[in-house]
Amino acid sequence: MRIRTAIVLVPIFVLAAGCVTVKPQQRAVLADPIMQFEGDPQANAQLRHAIENREGSYGGAGVSGGGCGCN
Amino acid sequence: MLASASARAQVLQIDTAHTLFHESPTKTNMTVYTPALDVTVNPAEWISVRGGYEADVVSGASVSTKAGPAYQAANPGIDVVTTASVKDLRHAPRGGLTLRKGDVSYTAVYTYGTENDYKSHNIFVAARTDAYEHNTQFEISYARNWDLVCDRIQAVNDAPPRFRAIEDSSGCFTGSDPLRTRHALGIDGLHGTWTQAWTSIFATQLVYTAQILDGFQSNPYRSVILAQGLKAQEYHPGNRTRQALALRLNVFVKPIKVAFRLTGRVYRDTWDITSGTGELEAERYLFEGFRAAARFRYYKQSGASFWSDDYTGGEPPLGPKGQYWTGDRELSPFSSFALGARFTYSLTPKGTGRVAGVFAGFKAGVSGDLVQFSYDEFTLGGAPITHARAFIVGLNMSAQF
Repeated sequence: MRIRTAIVLVPIFVLAAGCVTVKPQQRAVLADPIMQFEGDPQANAQLRHAIENREGSYGGAGVSGGGCGCN
Repeated sequence: MLASASARAQVLQIDTAHTLFHESPTKTNMTVYTPALDVTVNPAEWISVRGGYEADVVSGASVSTKAGPAYQAANPGIDVVTTASVKDLRHAPRGGLTLRKGDVSYTAVYTYGTENDYKSHNIFVAARTDAYEHNTQFEISYARNWDLVCDRIQAVNDAPPRFRAIEDSSGCFTGSDPLRTRHALGIDGLHGTWTQAWTSIFATQLVYTAQILDGFQSNPYRSVILAQGLKAQEYHPGNRTRQALALRLNVFVKPIKVAFRLTGRVYRDTWDITSGTGELEAERYLFEGFRAAARFRYYKQSGASFWSDDYTGGEPPLGPKGQYWTGDRELSPFSSFALGARFTYSLTPKGTGRVAGVFAGFKAGVSGDLVQFSYDEFTLGGAPITHARAFIVGLNMSAQF
């Protein structure tokens, strides 16, 4: 049921996003490094690697793979 | 993401990151040093070529035999939990390219991972596009792993309760030990991301990840005591499907000039582990080019359906309790919280000049995190885990030429 709700709602939000207008000259703050989702991707990936290797869950941040000697 | 276009004007970029992880809970300890170096070349605006290398240098001690409180009660005075010394080195060279045309980019990366007891081939492909006057980005990616895990050749007539763990990695992948074999593990991962700028100070990112694992997923070194005198190699199911959904919010609060990043994530898999993660990060400039960030993370998960702290007492009396058994604390119910800080200094030249006459851009960062784990059920022969704290120190640098 929750998956069906998400399947319906997400496309509605995506289409609604088309109504949003942030003009290029208004994006100075959004373009600043402190507003980036992955500002330091290499460092963030290593931190996730260190923390998520000690947890039973995975995902929601990036697709990666490979074995390591710390499992 | 929204500012990544500025990097395209650079011809060469070098990124390096180093992370040191240390944890020393009851009876075990583990230190992992992870260095990485990536070089990206942009010979033309429409193409980037990159090559890199990452390693994991692992040393310490981990649980090699796990027993529950009932076994300890029947064998008082015996150290029923043994630990093994671990030293390993994982090498992971990688290379790939990104092609761009208009608002669309395509990325492909290959990574080869090798260590004494594990080999891995990974391909990663991604497509990304902008929409709605660059206020929206969609990215979809797929990753595939072909992995091999070293193990002992078990006796032909033995069933999993009689399987024995390997003691070390000698003879793995060399062909020199006729008692060594290898198991396959295939991993398929699908990842979709929708990034949206809603206002000039507010953006969101919705991320969905699905992953299917098929093959050997146990730790071949770890044993679990199933009954009096019966010690068996850890035995996990061969299939696992995992899904995660995360929502990230970035908002800039102008009066205090602080950017807040809030992340919520839910996760579920077919081993019946469910988890939730909440993260909050705040960052601001202390002076031009120098920014400081503080972060907090809380994580809580349930245990796997076959998780138990004590596998003795099955039927018949010397049989296992259940079809699968594990000594992995990561499959037990637990929670953790992390506190951390990061400092970043960026140098950007004015106009067309260069920093120190060399760099078109330079950035350096240092971070520290403390993670505290709290295990609900996992014990070592009935003794609870204490001092389950991990310290993570990171250093990263990036230079553009």
